[in-house]
Amino acid sequence: MRRYLTFVVVGMLVASCAVGQAQVLKIAFDAADLRTLDPHYAAATMDRAVVDMVFNGLVRYKPGDITVFEPDLAESWEMSADGLVWTFYLRSGVRVHPFAGAPDGYELTSEDVVFSLTKAADANRSAYSGEYVGMEFEAAGPYAVRITLDRALPASLFLPKVADYAGGFIIPKRAYEALADRFATNPVGTGPFRFARYVPTQKVELVRHDQYFRGVPRLAGVEVWYMPDVTARLSALSTGEIDIIEGVREQAWVDVVKRIPNLAVDVFGPGETEVLHLNMTKDPISSLLVRQAIAYTIDRSEVVTAIGADVAEPLCGVVPPYLAGGLTCEEVAAVGLLYKQDLALARALLAAAGYPTGFEISANITERASYRKPFENIQAQLARVGIVLKITVVDHSSFHTLIRQDVNPLVHYEAWRPSADAFLTRFYHSDSIVVTGAKPDTNFSHSKSVDVLIEMARYELDPARQAAMWKQAQLTLLHEVASYPLYVLKFVFARSATVNYGYELKSTLALYPQINELTTK
Amino acid sequence: MSRRWFLQGRRTRAFLRNRTAVAGAVLALTFAAVALLAPAISPHDPLKQDVYNMLARPGRGHLLGTDDLGRDVLSRILYGARVSLIVGLSSVLVGTVVGTFVGLVAGYFGGSLELGVMRVVDILMSFPVLVMGLMFMAILGPGMDKLILAIGLVLSPQIARLTHGSMVALRDMEYLTAARAVGAGPWRILRRHVLPNMLGEILVMATLWTATAIRVEANLSFIGLGVSPPTPTWGNMIREGVRWLVVTPWLALFPGLAILLAVLAFNMVGDGLRDAIDPKLH
Amino acid sequence: MIRYVVRRLLVAIPTLLAVYTVVFLFVRVAPGDPAVAALGDYASAEAVQALRERMGLNVSLWVQYGRTLLGYLRGDLGHSLITGVSIGEQVAVVLPHTLQLTFAGVLIGALLGIPIGILTAIRRNRLPDYIGRTLALVGLSIPAFYLGILLILAFAVNLRWFPVMGAGPFTEPWANLRHLALPAATLGIIMTSFVSRMTRSSLLNVLREDYVRTGRAKGLRERAVVYLHALRNALIPVVSVLGVQTAVLVGDSVMTEIVFSRPGLGRLMVQAMMQRDYIALQGLIVIYGAFVVAVNLITDLSYGFVDPRVRYE
Repeated sequence: MRRYLTFVVVGMLVASCAVGQAQVLKIAFDAADLRTLDPHYAAATMDRAVVDMVFNGLVRYKPGDITVFEPDLAESWEMSADGLVWTFYLRSGVRVHPFAGAPDGYELTSEDVVFSLTKAADANRSAYSGEYVGMEFEAAGPYAVRITLDRALPASLFLPKVADYAGGFIIPKRAYEALADRFATNPVGTGPFRFARYVPTQKVELVRHDQYFRGVPRLAGVEVWYMPDVTARLSALSTGEIDIIEGVREQAWVDVVKRIPNLAVDVFGPGETEVLHLNMTKDPISSLLVRQAIAYTIDRSEVVTAIGADVAEPLCGVVPPYLAGGLTCEEVAAVGLLYKQDLALARALLAAAGYPTGFEISANITERASYRKPFENIQAQLARVGIVLKITVVDHSSFHTLIRQDVNPLVHYEAWRPSADAFLTRFYHSDSIVVTGAKPDTNFSHSKSVDVLIEMARYELDPARQAAMWKQAQLTLLHEVASYPLYVLKFVFARSATVNYGYELKSTLALYPQINELTTK
Repeated sequence: MSRRWFLQGRRTRAFLRNRTAVAGAVLALTFAAVALLAPAISPHDPLKQDVYNMLARPGRGHLLGTDDLGRDVLSRILYGARVSLIVGLSSVLVGTVVGTFVGLVAGYFGGSLELGVMRVVDILMSFPVLVMGLMFMAILGPGMDKLILAIGLVLSPQIARLTHGSMVALRDMEYLTAARAVGAGPWRILRRHVLPNMLGEILVMATLWTATAIRVEANLSFIGLGVSPPTPTWGNMIREGVRWLVVTPWLALFPGLAILLAVLAFNMVGDGLRDAIDPKLH
Repeated sequence: MIRYVVRRLLVAIPTLLAVYTVVFLFVRVAPGDPAVAALGDYASAEAVQALRERMGLNVSLWVQYGRTLLGYLRGDLGHSLITGVSIGEQVAVVLPHTLQLTFAGVLIGALLGIPIGILTAIRRNRLPDYIGRTLALVGLSIPAFYLGILLILAFAVNLRWFPVMGAGPFTEPWANLRHLALPAATLGIIMTSFVSRMTRSSLLNVLREDYVRTGRAKGLRERAVVYLHALRNALIPVVSVLGVQTAVLVGDSVMTEIVFSRPGLGRLMVQAMMQRDYIALQGLIVIYGAFVVAVNLITDLSYGFVDPRVRYE
């Protein structure tokens, strides 16, 4: 018996040396639990992270840099001359993770890709079906997929739909069919790590996919922890129990953690836009003079200071400047639409609108700090010209319902959208008006004036002209003060200094510092 | 009815002889004074933000430092006394009155009334405090009156169960049987014989629940059922402070100390009251 | 006694039905939409509508009510609207950890709280009393999440005696206990404060009773008076408190569970409420309700062990 034990122990030691220090990396998110690991539904940070490690797209954003597309499952692709047909040529030998029914997995082919894109386009099986309207998917041989569009789209708008983001993640057909309802908590894909175990309200365990097409991952596995308390996360990071944590997106926290030895802080983009939407149908906000007064009252730099310069980047147009068609603050200033703080002018505008001593409005805000804190600052700022903003704090779920019921005169909203088209359509196209729009969405301001520009720009194949139209639309919005853009809130993560992501981290749509086959700790 | 035995000189003297109780009363009155006089004694406007001086250390200018929007912490604690004391005390009052009444009546009369009432209590107790608070919040909407009602109702079944337990123990005591024998009605027995006997216990429990109520307020304001900003409360100050624990530990510490002192004061008063009221002590 | 237990269990059935009905109605009256919560704000409107359809939220309330109830009768708690996970499986994973933590906290509370309560009662208004009572008040005033974080900073981050986070698997008892230590201490400290206050007050009450005076007058030693006669009676309200708190802690250790990153029933319930996961919330509350019923029954039965005069009819 004893000898047997010795044998086992020695065997384990040898085995662990053989894999050469491959270790399990632990990352902790500010979340109570997962929601769904079906990539076509995953929306929250902690879910997108797991999905990012488990799945691939046809193309991918270069790790750490969202401005460049590179091959992922597809080795190459081409667009027909009329822009209506895109053909993707798949890599061969891509192995799907093992799953019940296929202990060795199987090779991913065009059949899977067609299945996955069809699912992504189906409102019954995907949250992002709206992105794939008017598209047809078909296999052109085992390693080629053809996508036909009803209207030509520029590459800048088309490639994100087949990239490693939202509906673009490719789900293997047989695995999805085998797992059915369980897929959302037992995802099977082709990525560097495969799903192993889920402990409700605690963690998800991933192990490396030895047959990953880019090579064997250097980490033995990844554990994704759900830890909603930031001090607990930081404590676990400082004792080495966790390697990477989601931080507090505020300057003071970043500064303190930077000074802790052996820890590093990553502040990266693209971040989320923080915008104050002004409801143009609610009195007295319906008056342009009042909206201008509000704009002249708010000091953007004060809100930015409250969050911190490294973490909050001033935003002057509704589309952030690093997206095609985004506006920089210089461009906005050049046309005189910056609304630089001028309290005297604001008071004069209020008087002209018939509110010389201000007025009172009330609005709901979620309890989440990244919404509530800037809103409290806005509250204090508006009080300077006599505008009394009564705030009611509600839970996040109620907040989302209430603002969609059009009860708020002012809506503070935090969002990331992958393109200028998505930002403008979802927030400012008349179809998206809350409650009354043709497809009620998140147009809280009830703006109707930029419909034509948005639609023209969407199908404009010349990138320069397209960007010009998007910019024009934003200037129109600034003119009518449909909203007041505040800042872009970047992502903040802290890690043990020994963690090496394996790429340079500038920005990522995965919303977390991506962990891939090159990451080590 | 409570007024009568409060004013009986002997008991007042007994209370006043108890030094701990007097110290507690002085402390409690100080808190009440602070709450009333907050506007006069606060060094700063508790709502005035200064984002260029956020999370400042305690020191000159801001005696207890500033919070994450640059507001003066001392002033916020002074103003916070208002809401926290009102919410803490009122909700416990609501909870104790409702809970004691229900528990005593059920325990005294027994039979199917007891069974029915305690079943309702069981139903209410089958909801965890936080979940029940969340439900109330979502349904009633926020607001201080609703907060008091919510916390009070959340606490009352637990208080009812405890008083019910004590009542069951008292039910067959000789003096109650004797009182019944001489023809005293149930309400008279409850009032004259049971309540005074249990008052000590109830008071101690109520003071314990005050601490709980203030804690519940802290937990609920963390989830959103709190008093809406910008009004400061100790509960939501602690919750905000905990977010900054590694940056500025004192942010959560100071309102925590305020809660501690307030709870201490009420407990000392509660103990003194009990000793003064307890008929068996004399 | 057996008849009493059977009757109480029969009474539990309508209680649980009422609990289910209340939670079913309340959670639907509250604003909020599980479909939006599940899909995030980037989802298309059609997708949200389709999901509502699939979640079965578009059928009449009666049908929803009946469907779930039929499931319960078959022993099926249903599946989470958000994750699709079976509620029963989730509870099976989480409940052992919750129960372990709760019982550890209550045990610490009883083992420390009762002796401290006795000591402070016997030494009333002397030094041990003041120290004990002050510490109890400190314990009562500190919110659990604050206390938990202080323990983490002291014993996990600085001294490195215990891990910061997680719950150890039950297959590894040593690791499991190390993980349990700090969260159990957090709950234990709070429980000790509760129990010692209650014991002290209750014992003081009893010590003034006539029969205690009689005992003293008979010339019984003070120790015999306290331990043989007074304590028995004094413990009834203490047992009540322990019972109530056991039930409360199972649902409300949320903050402790969050700070120590442990899986827990309370966390599941709060999460379900926050996301308006109707099915999960209903199932979890019914499970919790059953647990409370059981704890209350055990508490009531234990009165009889502590005090033989209590009879069960």
